[in-house]
Amino acid sequence: MAEFVTNRRPDAAILVVAGDLDIASEVELVVRGREFLASSDVGVVELDLGGVTFIDSSGLGALVRLHKLAQSAGRRMVLANVPPRVARVLSLTGLSDLFAELPER
Amino acid sequence: MLLTCGASWTAAEVDANSEQRLLEWQTKQAASVLSTAVMLIEQPLGTALSVQQAAPARGSEAFTQFMSAYVGPESTFVSASLWRRQGEAVAPLVETGGRPLLEPSSPAAQTYVAEAFGHQTATAHRIDSGAEARIVWVRADPAADLAIYAERRIPADRRAAVDSDSAYANLTYAIYLGPEVTAEALTTTDADPSDLPLRGVTSQETVPFGHTVLTLVAAPRGHLGSDLSRWLPLGLLLGGVLLTVAAARTGHRLARGRWDAEQDASTITALYEQVEILYGEQRVLFERLQRALLPHAHPVMSDLEIASRYVAGSRGIDIGGDWYSVVALDDHRFAFVVGDVSGRGVDAVAVMAQARFTIRAYLLDGQRPGAVLQKCSHQFDIEADGHLITVLVGIGDTRTGEVTVANAGHPAPVLVGGVARPVEVSPGRPLGTGPSWYEETTIRMPPGSTLFCFTDGLVERRDEDIDAGLRRLGTTLDRAASDPLDHLVSHAVDTLRNDDAPDDVAVLAFRWTATP
Repeated sequence: MAEFVTNRRPDAAILVVAGDLDIASEVELVVRGREFLASSDVGVVELDLGGVTFIDSSGLGALVRLHKLAQSAGRRMVLANVPPRVARVLSLTGLSDLFAELPER
Repeated sequence: MLLTCGASWTAAEVDANSEQRLLEWQTKQAASVLSTAVMLIEQPLGTALSVQQAAPARGSEAFTQFMSAYVGPESTFVSASLWRRQGEAVAPLVETGGRPLLEPSSPAAQTYVAEAFGHQTATAHRIDSGAEARIVWVRADPAADLAIYAERRIPADRRAAVDSDSAYANLTYAIYLGPEVTAEALTTTDADPSDLPLRGVTSQETVPFGHTVLTLVAAPRGHLGSDLSRWLPLGLLLGGVLLTVAAARTGHRLARGRWDAEQDASTITALYEQVEILYGEQRVLFERLQRALLPHAHPVMSDLEIASRYVAGSRGIDIGGDWYSVVALDDHRFAFVVGDVSGRGVDAVAVMAQARFTIRAYLLDGQRPGAVLQKCSHQFDIEADGHLITVLVGIGDTRTGEVTVANAGHPAPVLVGGVARPVEVSPGRPLGTGPSWYEETTIRMPPGSTLFCFTDGLVERRDEDIDAGLRRLGTTLDRAASDPLDHLVSHAVDTLRNDDAPDDVAVLAFRWTATP
């Protein structure tokens, strides 16, 4: 199960995601992300993964889809607070350089 | 002279006839895949109705809960509702999912639901609103005065990936709702709509679709019966037939189960168990379909042993899109592939089949691993088909023990012999993320060593880092390094695989047996 909370700063819209990003939460992540993109017009969309406990290929797929959605809407999606476990999976799957990543706060 | 003319005329006639027969055969296969797909769409409606009736005390909760697996922006249906009939009037009890294109209060929606009470099967209608087109399904049970209404999206341009099963690989096709081949009835095609109706050598099949039919018209694309697709449609045909049988049996047993439930409310639990069992059976059939897509035998080459294993995950009825394959390129060189399509279900398997045969075609065409992946990166798009594909492609030479690999986001293979260690293969992006390029790495296998390739289901655990899983794999392989190859593979899979692991596992390993 994954949970979603939205936050705003003047310079970015933030979607905080927590829990397992897997086949069970894939569709919800894409749907929430899409709604979230539509609901704000800030140039930078931040996906805060600080609370993510697990990610598999379906979860990665959802991240890639959101990245592409943001791109085609002329926005930039960045990942924030990426836990080491998730960062490792991103690097093993050759996806690290696809996403811009904010340094840990 | 006359005889020769006669003979060659006959030969030409036979040839034309066999082309027509081949087309008809392939169209039948495509129709079989299509009818399976239709059945998979219809089936939840009937089951939802049974579940609702078996547990009337739970109100509409049973319906909402059951349909939640099938309703959503990316699911079978975009929206669904449960209706009750009172006298002549019909009214919705509960809705789930997105906004229906037809307002429940609209005359059209009311008519469709009321009409469905006169049919034994589900009814299907096409509705249009601006650019959006949908199919409305209604399944009614006159005895219970209940009906289920559901809307399914038709892709806006009608040129859809939904029917891109490989059974269609050699066919240009157009699918029409109803028996008439008209522009208005067109639901899906892979042809340019201005080229329709299809002309020349065509073949036509109809498959049941609710209370009406779908008409499938197909024409050959290039020459039929190419080596590449020879057995794939057969596998899909087999799978299609098995699924059809399974779906029919499921429906029959559910109907019986429902009758029992009406006799005695305490059998509701039994009914749910029955559903579980039936899902289990269906899963077995799905697995057979997937196995039909995996190679049945590996090439036999001197100085090379090959072993593989595929284990289905334990959760859900859907199958995953893991695969492996090895092909001989000439007497000494071989190519191999291990891949994993994200997500599950028939769609994932269809993408897997597409990836598998595209990669194989490039390899047989003489392309190097890096070039194969680069070309493929232009052909797969997660936005179009919803899946990421990780894949490891390699070419080996049995004379030198050299293996050159390129990697699209896949776990690195492990070289076993001496100390087992992952091969440093810098991963490029998975296929589906967009055009990309891929580095090649050359591995020199020592004589007697084994290259062990796998999919992430072997090492992935929810409660730990991926590195812990990779370490465990290394240790396990070390201990069995000198075992016969088959045993090494079985041992690794049996040791590492969690019994309740949800994900599928595919393993392909080969050992270079040359003596130094």
